[in-house]
Amino acid sequence: MIQSVNPEPGAVALYEQKNKELAEKVEKDIQSFDAIYDVAVIKGKEETLVAYKVKHLKRFGMKKIEKDINKLLEDHYPNEDFVVSSDYKIFIETIELLERMKDPSFSEKKAEQQLQRVISLKKEMT
Amino acid sequence: MGKKKNLTPVQQQYQQLEQKHEIKRPVWKNCLNAFWVGGLICAVGQAITYFYIYFFDFTEQTAGNPTVATMIFISMLLTGFGVYDHIGQFGGAGSAVPVTGFGNSVIAAAIEHRTEGFVLGVGGNMFKLAGSVILFGVFAAFIVALIKTLWTMMGVL
Amino acid sequence: MLTGKQTWQFSNSPVIESWGTSGGPFEAEGKLAADFDVLHDDLWMGQDSYEKAHRVLLEEAIHSALQKGEFQKEEIQFMLAGDLINQITPTSFAARTMAIPYFGLFGACSTSMEGLALASFIINYQGAKKVVTGASSHNAATEKQFRYPTEYGGQKPPTAQWTVTGAGAVVLTDNQDKQGKIVTTSATIGKVVDLGISDPFNMGGAMAPAAADTIISHLQDLHRHPSYYDLIVTGDLGRIGQATTYELLQQAGLEITREQFQDCGLLIYNEDQPVQSGGSGAGCSASVVYGHLLNHMKKGVYRKILVVATGALLSPLSFQQKETIPCIAHAVAIERN
Repeated sequence: MIQSVNPEPGAVALYEQKNKELAEKVEKDIQSFDAIYDVAVIKGKEETLVAYKVKHLKRFGMKKIEKDINKLLEDHYPNEDFVVSSDYKIFIETIELLERMKDPSFSEKKAEQQLQRVISLKKEMT
Repeated sequence: MGKKKNLTPVQQQYQQLEQKHEIKRPVWKNCLNAFWVGGLICAVGQAITYFYIYFFDFTEQTAGNPTVATMIFISMLLTGFGVYDHIGQFGGAGSAVPVTGFGNSVIAAAIEHRTEGFVLGVGGNMFKLAGSVILFGVFAAFIVALIKTLWTMMGVL
Repeated sequence: MLTGKQTWQFSNSPVIESWGTSGGPFEAEGKLAADFDVLHDDLWMGQDSYEKAHRVLLEEAIHSALQKGEFQKEEIQFMLAGDLINQITPTSFAARTMAIPYFGLFGACSTSMEGLALASFIINYQGAKKVVTGASSHNAATEKQFRYPTEYGGQKPPTAQWTVTGAGAVVLTDNQDKQGKIVTTSATIGKVVDLGISDPFNMGGAMAPAAADTIISHLQDLHRHPSYYDLIVTGDLGRIGQATTYELLQQAGLEITREQFQDCGLLIYNEDQPVQSGGSGAGCSASVVYGHLLNHMKKGVYRKILVVATGALLSPLSFQQKETIPCIAHAVAIERN
């Protein structure tokens, strides 16, 4: 639950090669962070969802890590829209979505819908 | 023990004598028990949080509320069945500080005063232990929020 | 007859004709379970409040005392009793049931001996022929008033004591046939002593000087040596209070042995019961003395005992207002002819 590292290939919702490459690049960028041990990325129509797990003892600096990630993404991909979350729930939902997307019968539309649902979960505060 | 100011010499002398026979609180043992009892309660809480994250649409952010509710519910059952006071005697601060201790103080008072009726008994006495926790908790939160607001306005944060 | 400063001697030696006790579930697991006449396995005792259960305790103790002596309650002239609850309502309500002319007493945990001393005095001077006296306490009702709710998980320090759920009552008469009977011979009324202890979780420590003061006054007034008594038993000092009192008595130069000096609060429970320093409460001395000790005297184990019931005269309000705890102790000498 906490230890198992899942460097899932940065799969993409829309099956275009360009998007996939972008997602993989983003994933590499985030993985370069010392404090982060697990990343999952999904590129959607508009937003790109980035879910990551922070090493337990580095969790005190979560706010700063999030800031740094946002800044890095902003600098490297000024035209992209990112949704960044360290929330465990978002992470498992992302992994699940990635798994389902491997199935060719899982339509793009459904994937996008699912992605939006995860993003709305993230935005929910209480 | 710190307030020895108004004691006559006779009283001071007696208290010295009495101190000799007084059984001291086993502070280290209490700390140790509090540590692991408190830790255990929090581990249970964490497990419940993960339960809500895995099986329901709660995020780490939002799972807090149902977790607290569940913990209080468990502490209510333990209080009602007369188990929590024994945990309290053993675990001390470890069982008083987590939210279960708060639940216990409310529910214990409610059970105790059931015999005086619902309005004057349960209603009037339910918060006789937890009341000051609520009052000073809310007040402290207000002060902290005030300080944070001022800092933000001054641009420190 | 007043002897010395504060001691009565009862030349007509009022007879303790019969006695009765009742206890709760915790006492049933204690060392003296066999000496209780009535034992309940539930703190509620079939009532819908702890205060009512408290009343039942005293009623049962009085009933069994009357029964054992084959008395009708109409024969009894006066009833002297008390407890720890606000305005001693459990006792007064029991007196309502009994319909015996009634004195309500409050001496905190010393009520038992306060009652016995006064009852003996009344009998001794022909104020009555038969008097019933007793005291009671109920753990949950007392905790509710003085401490926290029963189920609250607060940690009690090792100095704390456990309020006894129990009651004891005796019938005193002016029976002229004193052969082989248990009688009261003297009583010493204590003064309030306060040596500045304010921790309500350390009542034993607060009450110790009052107990020592009364014992010393008693022996001085009567010019007696401690060895006159087979047993000097204190009411509810607990471990700490008892050890402290013992040292105070030693300091005062009294030759008293450890075996001779006992405490009801330590007698009543088993070692493994979680009562911290021992038992306490008005019912503690009443149920131990009016049960266990009188039974032993009847069997001849003891011939002369001095019972010193100690009381902490605090209220929940007074300790919250940071007042120290004033304490009192009354002593009654009980002998078997």
